[in-house]
Amino acid sequence: MSRMRILLDLDACTGHGRCYSLAPKVFGSDDLGHCELLLAEPPEELRESARRAVATCPEGALTIQETA
Amino acid sequence: MSSATEVNVSTGEANPYTPSVAADPIPFYDALRSHCPVATMEGMLGAGVYIISRYEDVRWALKHPEIFSSDLVAVDIGQDRPLIPLQIDPPEHAKYRRVIDPTLGPHEMAPLEDEIRMRVNEVIDQFVADGQVDAHAQFSVPLPGRVFLQMTGLPLEDLDLLLNWKDEIIRPGGGLLPPEEATPRRRAAGADLYGYFADVLKDRAENPGTDLLSRFFGTEVDGREMSNDEMLDICYLFILGGLDTVTSTLDCSLAYLAQNPQYRAALVQDPSLIPAAVEELLRFHTPVMQILRVLKQPTELHGVKMNTGDTVLLMLGAADTDPDEFGETAGEYCIDREVNRHLAFGGGPHRCLGSHLARLELRVALEEWHRRIPEYEITEGFELAYSPGIREVEKLPLEFKPLKLNPGV
Repeated sequence: MSRMRILLDLDACTGHGRCYSLAPKVFGSDDLGHCELLLAEPPEELRESARRAVATCPEGALTIQETA
Repeated sequence: MSSATEVNVSTGEANPYTPSVAADPIPFYDALRSHCPVATMEGMLGAGVYIISRYEDVRWALKHPEIFSSDLVAVDIGQDRPLIPLQIDPPEHAKYRRVIDPTLGPHEMAPLEDEIRMRVNEVIDQFVADGQVDAHAQFSVPLPGRVFLQMTGLPLEDLDLLLNWKDEIIRPGGGLLPPEEATPRRRAAGADLYGYFADVLKDRAENPGTDLLSRFFGTEVDGREMSNDEMLDICYLFILGGLDTVTSTLDCSLAYLAQNPQYRAALVQDPSLIPAAVEELLRFHTPVMQILRVLKQPTELHGVKMNTGDTVLLMLGAADTDPDEFGETAGEYCIDREVNRHLAFGGGPHRCLGSHLARLELRVALEEWHRRIPEYEITEGFELAYSPGIREVEKLPLEFKPLKLNPGV
């Protein structure tokens, strides 16, 4: 089964909060509003929302690694 | 006349501060990005005032505060000291954000939703039976003010006072006064605003509550207690940054939805679309058209050499409608946009401090408005006048079917 791994660059995150709005099961927030990874390897059914959330980060703080 | 004419392609000069640009900025933005990605402020050749407009350039500038500084005390907004944290550069900036961000973070905002919904309905109750409203004066203006008063525990009677000082600072005399008249009015309103919050803070020091302002006391910045001046400089920013911006976004949104019934009907039919609509309305209208930075080092971009001390306008609205980022539909409103990494709240370390509150207010406002007033249109023949810089309308007369008072909450 393919795997998806999300990487968070906390230095780049400035707390826009787009990720946890779009994929609240995959991303959460700390008290400052910065991203917290809830599921670094989201299951199949959450991957589409996770991909969209990653692509929507204005700071480019999130990346995805996919392996077959 | 198209706002594209405000860009002089042959000299590379442009002027975003005109009513025609504010009313219809997209042709202006397109001309800027296509023909002069680093434009010079019109009539200021040699004065070192530049306009940057492409998405990647604006984003790059926002992420590099060591080049594009926010140390802008020279910009006249009636202040005695830099606004905190808006006009503070890293690394000092982060020390303040660390203590202020949690007070306006998503964990703090979520429990406010019910109260904000009540404030929205109180405001709508005032005019819903009339069948007509100036949605600017009666909805977009009072709503963010009432929410601020609720969060800070200040009396509703003070709203007009605060709004008046805010307007006197941002656009004295409607924004068209020459500097020699505008500056003293800004200074006077600024002094009143400091004085007002000095009294409030003194009271809160003696009688602390659970409100936003009381929470400043005992807060540590960099290992010492926050000073009274620092608290005042934050209060000043709350008034200048927190009220006008939400007002202008509500103005732009309601005006646009009034003129585009198909988009409005989609939100009435399926309110779960509203969060995406808020993001797209923020992108498409980018009510705060531009933000200012000052160069800390010589910088060259697209062949234009800029010097230390030069002023740069980062044209957020132009970035947010850049086809290189948003594709062919960049200049259109698309509720089903797959990826929308707009910069309406800026970006980099200075990302809007109040963005989580603003999003909540905007979502709840549009939810309640469309639940109670699903059909509305601009009074026939009325021409909307937008203010440049922060795109508010002077007046937004809307007509709708009068409804009985029924908040239903």
